This record gives sequence, structure tokens and C-alpha cells, in this order.
Amino acid sequence: MDFKNLASKLGLDEDDFQELVELFITTSMADIDKIKKGVASNDPAGVSAAAHSIKGAAGNLGFEDIYSLTLDMEMQAKDGSLANFDDKLEHLENQINSLESQ
Amino acid sequence: MSNKQPYSVLAVDDNLLNLKLIEKSLSKEGYRIFSANNGPIARKLAEDEKPDLILLDIEMPGENGFEVISKLKENSETNSIPVIFLTGVIEVDSKLKGFELGAVDYITKPFHPLEVLARVRIHLKLSIATNSLIAGQAQKLKQVTEAQVAMLPTPEANPTALFSVYYKALEEAGGDFYDILNISDHITGYFVADFSGHDIKTSYMTASVKALLAQNCTPVYSPAESIKMINDVLVEILAAGKYLTACYLHLNRITKKLTIINAGHPPVVCLPVEGEPILIKSEGDVLGMFKDAHFGIQTINVSVDDRFVVYSDGLVESAETKITWAKGAESLLPIYNELNEVPFQDVPEVLIKKLFGEASMPEDDIVVLCIKV
Repeated sequence: MDFKNLASKLGLDEDDFQELVELFITTSMADIDKIKKGVASNDPAGVSAAAHSIKGAAGNLGFEDIYSLTLDMEMQAKDGSLANFDDKLEHLENQINSLESQ
Repeated sequence: MSNKQPYSVLAVDDNLLNLKLIEKSLSKEGYRIFSANNGPIARKLAEDEKPDLILLDIEMPGENGFEVISKLKENSETNSIPVIFLTGVIEVDSKLKGFELGAVDYITKPFHPLEVLARVRIHLKLSIATNSLIAGQAQKLKQVTEAQVAMLPTPEANPTALFSVYYKALEEAGGDFYDILNISDHITGYFVADFSGHDIKTSYMTASVKALLAQNCTPVYSPAESIKMINDVLVEILAAGKYLTACYLHLNRITKKLTIINAGHPPVVCLPVEGEPILIKSEGDVLGMFKDAHFGIQTINVSVDDRFVVYSDGLVESAETKITWAKGAESLLPIYNELNEVPFQDVPEVLIKKLFGEASMPEDDIVVLCIKV
């Protein structure tokens, strides 16, 4: 992912953007934990709230893939379904991890 | 470099990253940022720091954005701070509700920091313009009040008129007014009036009424003629629906005759040197409304040291709501009994204290005039 380009789109310099990405990774990891616990305890409301939180941040930073993935998770959980969440979670974790390696 | 404090923005969002993003983009442009991740902290910061603008997320756990904005608007310390709220793109209802609760604008999420910056700028500009407009108007009203007070005669400047007065205009431009007319060495006119409405036009009118009194209250005219002429001019110059209630006392200290002309005003109280207080009621039309108005006119014989109290309706009306035993002017009579020993110079002040207590202030404009024969 081209951080320099994303940063300039937001009117930020790269260092500031990098700092925000690190914060995003930390908070998203915490939210992913909440999603996992919510799936294990069959708590769609909790899952939806955690997905909503990642979605909001991802949208603002311009991480479109993560945004649409978490939007999908939030909506599905809001409808009360947690089907196929293991796959979705794995996909999400991969996306977040790929940010870390940049 | 100027020492001017930077404009401050309070950002409220439960999402830490969004807060950080707003903080970074706005502080780069020279704004001072306060952040809160929940409603109660946000309201406390708003009250303590008085930010110039608030960015408020709607969807928050605990106290949501709607509750926060409602409470901010209920609090006089924070109700004038513009609030822009952050809301999801699909939530039309929440946008409408936000405006209903007093928000100035919204930003849809996910938001772009440059859009946030642009909207913050626009609304700060609007708010600065509005504030300077308000400050300018308040300054003008203050000048009017000062001019109005300067127009009111003082007992010190009119020693032969033997009167004392309590005057309080609660709004910047009050609707109450009084004047003293030294018609001759031994004849004095006392005029107390209350304009309908308390706006800036009203306070300009007091200058006109003062001029009319000076022109018409002369030894050449009887009190009734003076007031009739003033009425006829006021009918011409007052806006439709505007009028004043007034009471004019014309006291001749040699013939010991007092003429009272009442134009829709509360009754005059007579505190005779001997005997019980009496209300002098007379029905009459208001001033400035009808060309052929009929006023209540009474002429009575008075004795040296008799005292008369003339007041605006703020005295009885406020008393009605504040004091349970008072049912209007009539029920104030027992209070007047207690004023027998009070020197006339202190009567207005003592009366106000008796009615409203030491600490509290009247809730309406008030004039109380005490005259000694």
C-alpha cells in the first residue's frame, strides 16, 4: 500500500500518517479480539460494535479493503448472523498484518 | 508574532483513531484541540475550556451525541458554542435530528480531514461574524441605557421637588420612565410611565415623551390639558399597538392641591401624615392609543408631610408571583403601614426590600417614586 499517497490525500505528512497507522493497528487488534470473543460467545451486538469501530477508522485513513470487509461484518452481525466469521476474521487479520509489515 | 490565543476545537469521538486524525490535521493548521472519548468528559471540557467549536460523534456508547448536544444546549455556559456532528452517510434521520437539536452542520463518516478542516473554518468564520454583531448591538444598547439613565432627574438636582426614587431597568433598554417637572417655585409635576414592550424603539420614545412633558407641563395649561396634548401627539407618533400607561401628579404646595391624572396606570398610594394609607384609584385610558382618550382625574386637598407613592406595575406584578399574600395593589396596603416611620428619602428602597427581600432583585423593570408634600 502506498502510504505516501494516502498521507498526501489526507493532507498529512508521512510521519504523521505512519503514527496513525500504528495506532490503527493497535486499536484494530483489540477490536479483533472483541470480535473473536463475540463470535465464541455468540454475541452479534458486541461483534457489530467492534467491527463498526475498525470500519470507522479504516474509512477515515483510506484503507478501502478493510473498510468494506468490516462494513460487511458489521451489517451481517447487526442482522444477527455470525456465519463464516472465521474466514472473514482471518482475511481481516491478514489485511491488518500487511499494514504492519510496511 | 501576535499573542492571540489560537481558536480551539473540542473533538468528541469514542474512536481513538478518529480523534487522533482530527487532532493531527487541525493542530497542523494552528488550532488548539481538546479531545474527549465520551459525552460526560466532553461536556466538562466544553464548560471548562469554552472551545470555539465542537466536533461531535453521534454514535457513542453511554451518552450518545444527541444527548450530549441536548445537554450542551441546555447549559448557558455552552449553548452558544457551534456544534458540527459526525454521522454515518446513510443516517438521514440522525442528520435531521442533529439539526433539530441545534447543530450547525454535519460531516459524514468516513470523513476526510480536509473536509473537516474546511467546515471548521467556515463555521468559525460564521461564529466570529455573529459574535461581533452581537457585541456591537450590546454596545449600542448599553449606550442607550446610559443615555436613558442620564435623562432621569435625581432628587439631588431637584431639591425643591422633595421626592425619592428607585429605578431599575432590567433589560438593556428599559420600558419604565419617570420625570420631574419644576413648573414654578411651588408647583411640581411628577410623571411615571411604563411603555408597552421593552425594545430599543421604546427607549428612544422616552426622549420624545420627556420633550413633550417639558413643552406642555407649564403654568399656562391645566394638568388635564397638558396630558391631553401629550396624548394627541403620541397618538400620531407611536407605532400602531404601542402605548404607555402613565400617572401624572401635579402638586401645588401653596394651595395644597394635588391633581392626579391616571392613564391606565396602577393606583397611587397616599400615606397621609395622620391615618391609614389609602389607594387613590381612577380608571382611565392608556396614553398614545386613542385620539379622544378619557383619563381618570382627581384633585385632592393635601397636608404638609403627606406622602404619595407612585410606581410601575413591575412592583405589584412581581409581588404577585413572588409573595403569596399579595393579590395586587390592594394587598400591599399593610406594607405601607410599616413605612410610617421611614424617612421619605428611603421609602422606595425600603419598599423594594420589603417586597423582594434583601438579596433578590425585581424580575421586571421597576420605578418607585415617593413624593413629600
